[in-house]
Amino acid sequence: MTVSQVVFILLSIAALGGALGVVFARNLFRAALALVLSFVGVAGFYVLLEAEFLAMVQILVYVGAIAILIIFAIMLSRRMMSSETQPWNEQWVGAVVVAAALFAALVFILSRVDWPATEAQVPADSISQLGQALVSPDFYVLPFEVASVLLLVALVGAVIIAREQ
Amino acid sequence: MLLDYVWLIPLFPLAGVLINAFLGRWLPRRLVAAIASLAIVASFAMAAVLFFQMLGLPAEAEGGGAGRQRIVPIFSWIVSGDFVVEANILLDPLSIVMALVVTGVSALIHIYSAGYMAGEEYHNRYFTWLNLFVFMMLILVLGDSFLTMYVGWEGVGLCSYLLIGYWFERESAANAAKKAFLVNRVGDFGLALGIMLIFATFGSVAFGQVLPAAASIPAGTATAIALLLFLGAAGKSAQIPLHVWLPDAMEGPTPVSALIHAATMVTAGVYMVARTHALFEVSLSALNWVMWIGALTAFLAATVALVQKDIKRVLAYSTISQLGYMFLALGAGAYAAAIFHLATHAFFKGLLFLGAGSVMHALSGELDIFKMGELRKKLPWTFRTFLIGVLALSGVPFFSGFFSKEAILSGAFEGGAIVPWLLGLVTAGLTAFYAFRVLFVAFYGKSRLDKKVERHVHESPWVMIVPMALLAVLAFAGGYIGLPRVLGIGSAVEEFLAPVFADSTLVHTAGEATLEWLLIGLSVVAVAAGILAAWWIYVRNWGLAGRLTQSARRLYDLAFAGYHADRAYMEAIVQPLRMLGEGLAGAVEQRSIDRAVNGVGELVGLAGEGLRRLQTGLVRNYALAMFLGVVAILAYFVLRGVLSW
Amino acid sequence: MEISLPTFDFLVVAPEIVVLITALLVMVVDMVIGREQKGRLAWVALVGVLAAGALSYYLWDGSDPALHDMLAADGYALFLNLAILVAAALAILFSLEYTGRVGLAQGEYYTLLLLSTAGMMLMAAAINLMTIFLALEILSISLYVLVGLNRAERRSAEAALKYFVLGAFASGFLLYGMALIYGQAGTTSLAGIRAAVQAGGEPSALLLVGLGLMIAGFGFKVALVPFQMWTPDVYQGAPTSVTAFMSVGAKVAGFAALGRVALYAFGDLQGDWRWVLAVLSALTMTVGNLAALRQANLKRMLAYSSIAHAGYALAGLAAGNAQGTSGLLFYLFAYAFMNAGAFAIIIAAGRFEGATGGGETLDDFAGLAARKPGLAVAMALFMLSLAGVPPLAGFLAKLYVFGAAVRGGLIWLAVFGVVNSVISAYYYLRVVVSMYMREGRPAAVPAPVCAGLQVGVALAAVAIVLLGLWPGPIVDLARVAALALLGG
Repeated sequence: MTVSQVVFILLSIAALGGALGVVFARNLFRAALALVLSFVGVAGFYVLLEAEFLAMVQILVYVGAIAILIIFAIMLSRRMMSSETQPWNEQWVGAVVVAAALFAALVFILSRVDWPATEAQVPADSISQLGQALVSPDFYVLPFEVASVLLLVALVGAVIIAREQ
Repeated sequence: MLLDYVWLIPLFPLAGVLINAFLGRWLPRRLVAAIASLAIVASFAMAAVLFFQMLGLPAEAEGGGAGRQRIVPIFSWIVSGDFVVEANILLDPLSIVMALVVTGVSALIHIYSAGYMAGEEYHNRYFTWLNLFVFMMLILVLGDSFLTMYVGWEGVGLCSYLLIGYWFERESAANAAKKAFLVNRVGDFGLALGIMLIFATFGSVAFGQVLPAAASIPAGTATAIALLLFLGAAGKSAQIPLHVWLPDAMEGPTPVSALIHAATMVTAGVYMVARTHALFEVSLSALNWVMWIGALTAFLAATVALVQKDIKRVLAYSTISQLGYMFLALGAGAYAAAIFHLATHAFFKGLLFLGAGSVMHALSGELDIFKMGELRKKLPWTFRTFLIGVLALSGVPFFSGFFSKEAILSGAFEGGAIVPWLLGLVTAGLTAFYAFRVLFVAFYGKSRLDKKVERHVHESPWVMIVPMALLAVLAFAGGYIGLPRVLGIGSAVEEFLAPVFADSTLVHTAGEATLEWLLIGLSVVAVAAGILAAWWIYVRNWGLAGRLTQSARRLYDLAFAGYHADRAYMEAIVQPLRMLGEGLAGAVEQRSIDRAVNGVGELVGLAGEGLRRLQTGLVRNYALAMFLGVVAILAYFVLRGVLSW
Repeated sequence: MEISLPTFDFLVVAPEIVVLITALLVMVVDMVIGREQKGRLAWVALVGVLAAGALSYYLWDGSDPALHDMLAADGYALFLNLAILVAAALAILFSLEYTGRVGLAQGEYYTLLLLSTAGMMLMAAAINLMTIFLALEILSISLYVLVGLNRAERRSAEAALKYFVLGAFASGFLLYGMALIYGQAGTTSLAGIRAAVQAGGEPSALLLVGLGLMIAGFGFKVALVPFQMWTPDVYQGAPTSVTAFMSVGAKVAGFAALGRVALYAFGDLQGDWRWVLAVLSALTMTVGNLAALRQANLKRMLAYSSIAHAGYALAGLAAGNAQGTSGLLFYLFAYAFMNAGAFAIIIAAGRFEGATGGGETLDDFAGLAARKPGLAVAMALFMLSLAGVPPLAGFLAKLYVFGAAVRGGLIWLAVFGVVNSVISAYYYLRVVVSMYMREGRPAAVPAPVCAGLQVGVALAAVAIVLLGLWPGPIVDLARVAALALLGG
């Protein structure tokens, strides 16, 4: 087993364990903390794939912004801090069966996929290339602009929801 | 040429619809009725003019002339690649006969309605729908493609549905309308599928392209198409087992029963089979189905009519039975005879219904013939016209019903359908019995009227009597357009319709004169026996009927209940469907509404509170269903993969 | 370092840009005008929508330009633009009085309506998984907020939350599917995926699984069984004008993307996906119709009916041929008028005095023919058209897609469709009967109906009659649009 494989397994444990924690935690606050763990695990994958920039973004945006925002929201609403919720409900059997079936189907299919892989090295200046691709008309400037509309929509929506009547 | 203005025929009723629908509320009541009636009269006049024009043309296409058939383009309805549907009018002997019958009888019944419905509240609505009905019926019979026919088919169904439920305050009327609608949908479903299959097979839905090509398709396909079309015909024309709606449809106003449920709409199925006979002839088994269903319906409905007490129900079962005759004729390949009977039946059954309406009008809505009696003296004009109707329906010689029934029975016999012919013969006797039973019980004997009712008995106004009288003339004289072949003069209607059915491959060997006379003699005997029996039971030995009923109680009850067709449907189809519907919708609905009401309180305000909703609400159920769907789709791909990779 | 300015032919996305700018304009104008003048915002929005519609029509010269594998202004997109803009324009007309009555904040309302419209149009134009997803989210997020905009109504907030949570769930499936497809094809461009699909000898498992997951994602947006369960709750809870808009717009957009992905990118794998779509179609129409049978609440009934119609429309897609594709397009166009129109009548009925059910129950419609003959005629037309009664638009649309299914060898699906139409007529006609054949409560005095709504209803009613009788021009457009997608 190579080092990177060991690291991969450890990171997987972190990501999946965190995700399980989110689902099974009785306390919402703990669930949010588990979410952070899961996010960090995913950031680790990016590092392993030599996509350091994405790893940074993952940490900054998901851990630094999203998870923290969730934790703020939970802490600010008193009832949620203290209340214990029941993660199991009456349809858990069905859910487990369906989830297991989906898992089995995916495993079955993905196991016989001939994954396309590239031998190319990661370019040294990946960040500048990424930046250029993002604003280059031949690559992603259009989705970039469309994404700005999406953000605008989200912003307007958030303001409307949050505003007092 | 004048024939190119055929579109005026449906245009007049349409104009009537538009005027009365949009201005009717502000117009005086009489004017509304006058506009509606005039529209139909104009339409009839146009049809009559075209009919005589057509008579002046050569019967067969010759020397560049198209003969009596012509297609009058109206507009291109659908043009999508190779899918082209023209909304054209097909003018030929068959469609002009249908148009004449429809507009003629409609005109008289419109005029009658002016008197009959005078006191009704939703006067303009009634006439609007009645005009709309005539318009749709004309689209049905004049259209030159299956699709235009289907437009009319659905349209008349809709009008019929609305008019049956016209007295919507009555629960029974609303239910009857619903039943008529549902049963007809079964038929419409067959028709729609049939048309779809025609389109898939022929790549066209125009009569002019489908029917000539019919012989070239495989017999299996032809059988499927023909049976699907016949399912539609059976629904519209109330043939077993889709007959159950017609008796209940009598909840509608009587002129509606006369027009829609006796004279015109219910004959649409007959018209369709006649029009598309080329398809039926490719598959003899389909044609056999038509014949046997027709014969059985004729016989069974007649036995039910024997014992009904409600005058309109007798007439309704009689209509089912007479329609059965027409299908019997179609199945035996005697198409012209079927159309002939369609016409005479429109006259005399329309007349009988109008007579029944006149009786109801006089007796404050009484329907039970055993609570009538002696009306002969109180309603002399109604009696005279009703008598002619009864004579015609019974098939008494020299009245119209006699000739058309004769044409059907001899056609069936010559077509080699001996058992159906026998059923038809017996039915002729039964018909005479129940027709005269109504006449004797309601119009003869002693008055059994309610004292209160009796004081108000009055003959109907002239506006109702005149249409009845005119129909009576037709019910008598209408038969002379189709004299029996054996007389050597030739049947005018058969000759006129001959070009339409010229492509028929069914061979009818005309029997010898002696045989023809023998057949006529047999049916006269059957009719005479029926009349005599009715006279014996209901005039000579009043009270015998009751004893007979007692001695055959179970049989009587069975027939009275129409062989429990309704209950069979109820238990076999309606109940299970209802349970299914409740299972699918009811259970889910109940819970989600309750949950929504209970759960709502926690929601407003903090979005965080809403998260709890995830744990307690139904969202998780919805999500699970989605999850299940995803798994099912993936499982399909996996299974496909296992099988093919 | 040289900086090259992007060279864009902005004309290609001009309709979308016009709608977006109008949305911003509404937002700005909303800030500067007084409270009593807010009603004018609707007219600003309407002008923008109409301008975008005119532009879409004008752009349609058969050249089918595309922007860098991201967006295309081909006939397919432009045709669907028209359907979407019809829904938006009708929704604005229906909102004129309704927003005030219900107390919706008009500035935000029209802004979101336009943003959502822009999202739908972008989705119709998107030819890249990335733009598809972004457009989907734009339209979805605006709709989530629009659904919950009625603060006074508790059901509105609940509906918004349900829609949001389940929508996020569906987006997850969609994104996962896209990721798998990208993993195999190495590109997000639909043209590239098409090439990858054609390249492989046998269908790659990854591509198929990706497609399956995407079908689930789009299936949620267009309400296919079993991804439809949110529909009745959301349609009922949302402000009615929003329901009118989203019941059409979101469906059109969802079908637009599904059509592009299935017919174009995965066109060569038709044998693999058509059964999935055919079964979903049959299921969807059946479940929708059976559930609608028992509804007394009209909004809920129309919600189930809209599920059924998604099933009918999907039959055209499952047919997989050119006729089915143009049938689908025609169906969506006709559906825009009849469905939006039906909801408009509910909006109008909510004003009647004595409308105990807020204009949403059958009882509220009792005797409408006597009180408001014009509205009753229009509603009857909408119901009959939805039921597929000839010669209205709905009949022709069904004929079109079922005919295509028959030609595509899916006769059983056409049979399902016909049986379902037969069933559905029952509950549509119940409304007609209620209007024409029942007495209204004497207290139920009709209030005047807003002129804008009347105009919208009249336009929709005339449109479904014209589309039924003279479908030629629109059918031709739909055929050109289908060819733009299928090529040839």
